[in-house]
Amino acid sequence: MKTRELFFWVMIASAVIIMAFILLPMIQLMTAPSLPMLKKTIRERDVLQSIWLSIYTAGLASLISFVLGTPLAYLLSRAQFRGKGLIESIIDLPIVIPHPVVGIAILSIAGRGHWVGQILSWLGVRIMGSVTGIVTVLTFVGLPFYINAAKEGFEAVSPRLEKVSRSLGASMLSTFFRITFPLASRSILVGAIMCLARAVSEFGAVVIVAYHPMIAPVMIYERFEAYGLKYSQPVAFWLVALCLILFLLLRMLTLYRKKRS
Amino acid sequence: MIRIKNLNVDLEEFFLEDINISIDENQFFILMGPTGAGKTVLLEAIAGLVPVKSGRIIIGKRDVTRLPPEKRGISIVYQDYALFPHLTVLDNIIYGLHFHRVKKDEQKRRSEALIQQLNLRHLLHRYPGTLSGGELQRVALARALIIHPDVLLLDEPLSALDPAFREEIRDALNRLHRLSNITFIMVTHDFAEALSLAQQAAVINNGRIEQTGTIEEIFRCPVSRFVAEFVGMKNCIPVRFNGTNAAVEGLEIETGREWAKEGGYIAVRPEDVVISRRPLHSSMRNSFQGKVTCVRDRGFFYEVVVRVGDTAFTSLITKGALLDLGIQEGIMVWVSFKATAVHVF
Amino acid sequence: MNAKRKLNSLYLREHTCDTIAVSEKNILHIRRSYMKRKASILFISLVVLVLPFQLGFAEKREVEPGGIVIIFHAGSLSVPFEEMEKRFESIYPDIDVLREAAGSQKCARMITELEKPCDIMASADYKVIDKLLIPEYADWNIRFATNQLVLCYTDTSRYSGEVTEKNWYEILKRPDVVWGHSDPDLDPCGYRSLMVMQLAEKHYKRPGLYKDLIANRPKENVRPKSVDLISLLQTGNMDYAWEYRSVAVQHGLLYITLPDEINLGNYQFDDLYDTSVVKVTGKEPDSFMEIRGQSVTYGITLVKDAPNTDAAVLFLEYLLDPEGGLAVLDSMGQPPFVPARVPTEEMRGMLPQNLKSLVEVKK
Repeated sequence: MKTRELFFWVMIASAVIIMAFILLPMIQLMTAPSLPMLKKTIRERDVLQSIWLSIYTAGLASLISFVLGTPLAYLLSRAQFRGKGLIESIIDLPIVIPHPVVGIAILSIAGRGHWVGQILSWLGVRIMGSVTGIVTVLTFVGLPFYINAAKEGFEAVSPRLEKVSRSLGASMLSTFFRITFPLASRSILVGAIMCLARAVSEFGAVVIVAYHPMIAPVMIYERFEAYGLKYSQPVAFWLVALCLILFLLLRMLTLYRKKRS
Repeated sequence: MIRIKNLNVDLEEFFLEDINISIDENQFFILMGPTGAGKTVLLEAIAGLVPVKSGRIIIGKRDVTRLPPEKRGISIVYQDYALFPHLTVLDNIIYGLHFHRVKKDEQKRRSEALIQQLNLRHLLHRYPGTLSGGELQRVALARALIIHPDVLLLDEPLSALDPAFREEIRDALNRLHRLSNITFIMVTHDFAEALSLAQQAAVINNGRIEQTGTIEEIFRCPVSRFVAEFVGMKNCIPVRFNGTNAAVEGLEIETGREWAKEGGYIAVRPEDVVISRRPLHSSMRNSFQGKVTCVRDRGFFYEVVVRVGDTAFTSLITKGALLDLGIQEGIMVWVSFKATAVHVF
Repeated sequence: MNAKRKLNSLYLREHTCDTIAVSEKNILHIRRSYMKRKASILFISLVVLVLPFQLGFAEKREVEPGGIVIIFHAGSLSVPFEEMEKRFESIYPDIDVLREAAGSQKCARMITELEKPCDIMASADYKVIDKLLIPEYADWNIRFATNQLVLCYTDTSRYSGEVTEKNWYEILKRPDVVWGHSDPDLDPCGYRSLMVMQLAEKHYKRPGLYKDLIANRPKENVRPKSVDLISLLQTGNMDYAWEYRSVAVQHGLLYITLPDEINLGNYQFDDLYDTSVVKVTGKEPDSFMEIRGQSVTYGITLVKDAPNTDAAVLFLEYLLDPEGGLAVLDSMGQPPFVPARVPTEEMRGMLPQNLKSLVEVKK
C-alpha cells in the first residue's frame, strides 16, 4: 500500500476548505427563506422589475463592451508599440478602483459642473438616477473583463493563419471576420459572460449614481438595512437563482461549442 | 521574371541586408540556408506579409513593393501548413476563390482538378485536426494553387514530414510544377532536397545572399567556405598555392592548373575521395597514406575520416565496401582523388 | 520520520515467514500511529487558528473609561458630530467613537430590527425615538437642538440667477428642473420636505401646489438620506434639494430662506405646522404611521443594554455641556437648546446621575 505524501493531504484539505467556504453561506442563503415567503416575493412587481432591470442593464453593458472592446482587444493582441503597457494598465484600472469611488467619479463628470456633463445635458442625456447611468457604470466596471478575455482569445489565433488568408486574397477586414473572430469566438463568449457576471453583481458604484431605478443588489441592501434578513433573503434567493440559470445556460453553450471544435 | 532589388528588412529578431535575386519565369527556385538565416523572412517579404525597410520587388512587369498581400498574386504555404482549423478540408481549399471572384463553374473545375491531382477526395469533409502530415501538406498545396497565383512560396514543405511522406510530396511538387506555369520558390535547409527539385537556387546566411546561380554551379563551385560546407563539401582545407599545387602542412595537392592568388581554400566532395588498402595505381593524381581515425555510420553509407599528417579527409563508402576493405579505426589506408575533383575558391 | 526508521529496522531483521507476518502487523501499527499523529497536528492547528477569535471577545470587558462607543445619528448631524468626536477623543484618548449616519427611522430600525450593537442614538426628529425606541429599547429622550428647512442650490443650478423666496415654487414646477429630497420612510428630512411644501400651498394660497410639485419630482430624485443630495448638487446632477439650514451652511451651498410659517424652524408656529401630515412606513414594511408637522427638534438617547454604557454616558456629558458639544453645534449653524430639555420630571429621574444636572424640564 502506498503511503500518501503530506502534500497530497494539503491539496485535499485546501479543496475541502474552499468548497465549504463557498458553499456553506450559499446553501444557508438558498434554504433560509420559507417557501411562502419566496412565493410572495417573486410575485411583487417591484422585485420582478428590479431583477429584470439588473439582468437587462448587465446585458446591455456586456453588449456595449463587446462592440467597443473588440477592436481594442484585437489591436492589443497584434500590435507592439510604445505605451502599450500603459494602455493595458489603464484598461485594468476599473478593477482596482474601489466601487463607490467609481460611482463618485462617474457622477462627477456627469453633472453640469463638468464639461462632459454639460454636453450630456445639452443632448438631453441623463446619468443620475437613470438606466443610462446604470449601464454606464456597469460598462465601466465590466469592460476590463471582456477586453482581457478577448485579447487572450485573439492572441491564441496564430498570425500565420491571418497571413495565409491575406495571401489568398482576403482583406484585413475579411480575414478578421472569417478567420480570426470565429477562432477566438469561445474566448469572446467567455469574456462577455464574465463581463455580464461582474455587471450583475455590481452594487457600490451603482448605488451612488442611481438609487432609483433600483437594481436588485440595491433592493436587497435597502430591504436588509430597513427591515432585516427576513425581507431581503428572498430577493437575494431569486436573484441568485435566476443568475445561476443564466450562467448555466451560457456555460453549456460554450462547452457544446468546445466539443464541436 | 521575379526581381528582388536591394531589399532590406529590419524586424526585431530577423533582418535581411541588400538582397538581390533574379528568378526566371516558371522556375523552380530554391532558397537554402541554415536555420535563422532569414529564409522565411525573405519569403514573407516577397509575399508582402512583413514590412520592408528599402528595396523593390518586381513580379513580371509589376512593382509590387507597395501592394498589400491580397493584391500580389502570391500564395504561401507555411511549414506548419496553417490550415484553418474551423473549416473543412473542402472549405479550406476553396477559401481563396471567393476573393478572386471566380465563377461557380470555374470554381468547380479548378477544385476538381486539384482534388484529383493531389488525391484528396476522401478527405473533403474532414477537419484539419484529424489529418496526417502528408495529407495536411497536400491540402495546403491545393488551397494555395487553386487561385492560380503567379508565384507559389513554399516554406520548408518537407522538413516536418516522415521520410515516407517526403518522397510523396516531393514528387507531387515536381508534378505540379511541370503541369502549371507557376514560379515556385521553395525554402529549405536540406541541400539534398534542393538538388532533386531545383533548377535555380540561392544560398542565404545571416540575412545576406552568399551565392546565387543554377543548382549545378552551387553544388560544384561554391564561392565561399560557408557555401562549400553547406553543400556538403566536407574536405575544406585552407592552402597556399604553389604553381599548380595547393600546399598545406607538408602536403602537396595537385589541382591541375595555376592560380593567381597566393592562398585560399580547396574543397573535395567526400564522394570523390576513394579509399584503398594499397596505393592506387590510377589516373588520380592525388594519393596519400593516412590513418583511419573515425568511422561514422550514416545509415545508407559510412563516413570515414582519414588523417594524413595534420589534415583530415572525409570519404564516403558503402557498407559493402567497408566490409570488403576491412576498414576500421586505427588502420592505415590510402586516400585518392582526381585533380579535377579539387575545387578551389 | 520515526515510522521510516522503524520500517528500515524491520527490513534489517531476518526474513523468515514469522518475521514477515510480524512485520506486516507492525507496519499496520505504524500507519495507524502515523495517522493519529497527523490527526493531532490537524486538531492543534485548528485550535491555534480559532483561539485568537476567542480572545477577541475578552477585549470588550473594560472597566475604566475605554473601549468603543457606537453612535447612530442623523445625516444632518454628521459634520458637528465629527468635530465632537475629535474633541472628545482628545479628552479621553482610550475611548474610540464609531459613528454611523443614516436617516433617523433607519437608525431606529437598525437597533430594533437588526439588533445592531449601538450605545447612543441621535435623531433629527425626537419623535422617532419616542415612537420607535421607547419603551423597549430606550427609557428617555433628551431634546438638544433645532433646525429649519431651506431650499439649497449651486450656481450651476438651472435658473439659479432667478430664484427667490417668492418664486421658488414656480421654478420647481418647471419640467427641466431636477430637484429632490430624501426618502420620507427613512429620513425625517424627507417627510419634513413634504410638510414644507404642504404648508407652502396654504401660505402662498396656491391650491394644488403640493400635487403639482410632487408630480415634477420623479422617484429617481429621491435618496435614502438628505446628505446624499449634497454631492448631487455639487456635481451639477441636481438643481435644487431640500436640506436643513445647518447642512447648507456647513457645505457652503446657496439657499433660499423660507418664511417662518412654513420652514418648521420656529416652535411658536407649531399649531400651524400641525396642519401638515405625511404617511410613512411604520415598524414593519406593511404598516404605516402618520406624522404631523412640528418644529424641527433633535433628540438623543442611550440605548438600553448598550455594550459600553459607561463610556457612552461620558460622551453624553460632553455633548450636553454648554461649553462642549452644544457650543460646537452652535458654531456650525445648528441652534442648540441651552440647556437641553426633557418633557417631564419623571423622565429626568430616569437619566443617569451625571446627566441630570445638564437638562431642564420643559415641555
